[in-house]
Amino acid sequence: MKTFLKILLVSMLAISASAKEIKLLNVSYDPTRELYQDYNAAFAKYWKAKTGDDVVVNQSHGGSGKQAQSVINGLEADVVTLALAYDVDAISQQAKLLPADWQKRLPNNSTPYTSTIVFLVRKGNPKGIKDWDYLVKPGVSVVVPNPKTSGGARWAYLAAYAYALETFGHDDAKAKDFITKLYKNVPILDSGARGSTITFAQRGIGDVLLAWENEAHLALKEFGADKFEIITPPLSILAEPPVAVVDKNANRHGTAAVAQSYLAYLYSDEGQEIAAKNFYRPRNQAVADKYAANFTQLKLVTVDQEFGGWTKAQQTHFADGGVFDQIFQPQN
Amino acid sequence: MKKKNKDMKLNRVIFATFATLQFAVPVFADDGATTNATEAAEIQVLKQEIQALDQKVEALEQRHSTEQQATNDTSKEQIQALDQKVRVLERLRENDQDATVAVAKAQPRLAVGASGVTFSSADTNFSISLHGVLQLDSRTFPSDGSINGNDSFLLRRARPILQGTVYRDFDFMFVPDFGGSTVQIYDAYVNYRYAPWAQLQAGKFKSPVGLESLQADVNTTFNERSLATDLVPNRDLGAELHGDLFGGVVSYAGGIFNGASDYNGTTTNADYDNDKAFAGRLFFQPWKTSDVAALKGLGFGFSGSYEIDRALGASATGLTPGYNTDGQQKFFTYTNGVAANGTHWRISPQGYYYYGPFGLLGEYVISDQEVTRPASGALRAASADLHNTAWEVTGGWVLTGEDASYNGIIPKHPFDPRNGQWGAWQLVGRYAELNVDNAAFPIFANPATSASAAQAWSAGLNWYLNKNIRVNASFSRTTFTGGNGSAATVTKQPENAIFTRIQLGF
Repeated sequence: MKTFLKILLVSMLAISASAKEIKLLNVSYDPTRELYQDYNAAFAKYWKAKTGDDVVVNQSHGGSGKQAQSVINGLEADVVTLALAYDVDAISQQAKLLPADWQKRLPNNSTPYTSTIVFLVRKGNPKGIKDWDYLVKPGVSVVVPNPKTSGGARWAYLAAYAYALETFGHDDAKAKDFITKLYKNVPILDSGARGSTITFAQRGIGDVLLAWENEAHLALKEFGADKFEIITPPLSILAEPPVAVVDKNANRHGTAAVAQSYLAYLYSDEGQEIAAKNFYRPRNQAVADKYAANFTQLKLVTVDQEFGGWTKAQQTHFADGGVFDQIFQPQN
Repeated sequence: MKKKNKDMKLNRVIFATFATLQFAVPVFADDGATTNATEAAEIQVLKQEIQALDQKVEALEQRHSTEQQATNDTSKEQIQALDQKVRVLERLRENDQDATVAVAKAQPRLAVGASGVTFSSADTNFSISLHGVLQLDSRTFPSDGSINGNDSFLLRRARPILQGTVYRDFDFMFVPDFGGSTVQIYDAYVNYRYAPWAQLQAGKFKSPVGLESLQADVNTTFNERSLATDLVPNRDLGAELHGDLFGGVVSYAGGIFNGASDYNGTTTNADYDNDKAFAGRLFFQPWKTSDVAALKGLGFGFSGSYEIDRALGASATGLTPGYNTDGQQKFFTYTNGVAANGTHWRISPQGYYYYGPFGLLGEYVISDQEVTRPASGALRAASADLHNTAWEVTGGWVLTGEDASYNGIIPKHPFDPRNGQWGAWQLVGRYAELNVDNAAFPIFANPATSASAAQAWSAGLNWYLNKNIRVNASFSRTTFTGGNGSAATVTKQPENAIFTRIQLGF
């Protein structure tokens, strides 16, 4: 019997010591599909070389707010790479799956890349759209996702609002009037950025799509530069999509170390290059310089400057009964 | 458009010429020169009027053209606006459909089918399934020396099976049996799945020793398991580490248990002494994941158990109440007062081979048991190490061509006589022996009523109507060595038993 137990123990140890296949679930927002497809392959190669283990990263995408709610409801994300910090805060506060100070764990407040909101218009720009004020004109149809469910939509809303504040001398009433007029021109609200891209580019709805910068470039690549063009407004918002390990899930899965490395590697030269190639603005200056041609220079305001941070912005504009609920009337 | 303009100009020329002729012809017909000046003036007026008319016509035509253009532009805009509205409505409908699908995906699921009823959460991390086994048997013993009460119909098993998963990694199973005279709990355990190769199970479940014993009740070849199963433990209480390595090429199980006697139809829910038993099994299916069809169904391994029993009194012997024939009649029992006392170990090499409709299963078991008998009257206390052995070989051939397997047979053409489908038919045969250590007689067992060996052969026909319903019919003949001293005992004559079964399993 002792021999039997020894054999059993040795077998188990042998299995434990052999190369492992580690699975991670990255719960992300809508337009990061292509970024993380590229990045996951690079990280798997890096991790294999470093440890000998295979890493398979499964991806889940959707509207950022919706994705955060799924994690709160039990979706077993090892890491989240969402559109805005507020959504990760919600996971921390409501489900206690990661500490409140999660943003301090990685450089740049755990945002390895940034982005902004630009306009995608039909080729030739038939409505002559050049800036935010063109979007409130009668007869201009604007496509943008629902800020209740989409992180990108919240950035777009705040970018428009910031433009109005800057234009009207921070007169909130006028800014509210501006945003009301803009959303009167929105015929349909999709739940996520990818849905809005489909609405605009594939279904032929609207004159202008308010899109993530990377999503706009992707649309050009996918649907043809002969069909659309990107208009970068003189002013927009600095979008900082954060990343975080979901500690409790990762610890339970035994993937905490890999998950941390997975996110940290986003700051590596390779990670930054992949981000830049996918039209996310890299934090690494050298990489940013290398890919400067991909990114039009514009004035970028921050949520902290204009809205006093995400918590306040969320409560004021996107919470139930907030400004968005007051100004938006569905057209259909 | 050009053609239209050309036509209009032509019309105007014709009109002017015609009008001029109308007035000019009468003028030339008049001879008076005095009227020439007046007429010329009139002609001039008429010309002017014609010119004015021409201009009016032109203006009207231009106005008409402008209005037409405006109408066209408005219509175009209206069409574009309508087109956008239609597109928006279509997209909204599309989004609604996506939302409906998303909501449906998030709803709990209910599945009803041949594998029972299963409720599960949308992410399948929580599920609960209801299965069941119902076996209605008949046993008939011709030429059995007038033993009464053994020819009967019986409800062999009536087991609702409740199993499920909580928090994705924790499985549970609860199986009571209402088939016997008393209700028993057969399985009640929780299993934690860390990974396929590392699972921890705790509760009451089958001890990992006998190959035939570990086969599910609905899948056994004959109504009753063979003589070899008499020497392995039945269900036991304890905890077991188990798992499958390399996709099931190697399976292992090892655990600590209360310690069960040799196969006992009645399982207990408590230990009778303080010592625990260790049981384990290693099983190999080297070609399970290969493409070598002829070897995929080959499995072999060995299992064993070890425990130390201590006689704590006559009421708790730690011994089997008896070894049973195929007909579930006892052909060997220990004498009253004999108790398990000392080591009890088992070892069992085992294996099976399935290829297409052919199946073969065999195992050999040694059950080595130290026993004692207290002093009684003139008899002195005695002890012995009894080395009992058994083995069996079971073969089968599915006449209708379905694949045979350790996990049962699924008919290709489920029973449906209206469409000429008759299910699957399997011919089965078995030979088994059990040999009790001769040292058991006469001190520990009565040679007049207990046989020292039994040899049984069986043949039968199994009819699988579908995945859930099965009908068996078989014959078993068991011969005995010894145990022929008393009339009306099982071992006085060979046991001839005819079995039938109607089984529902889902």
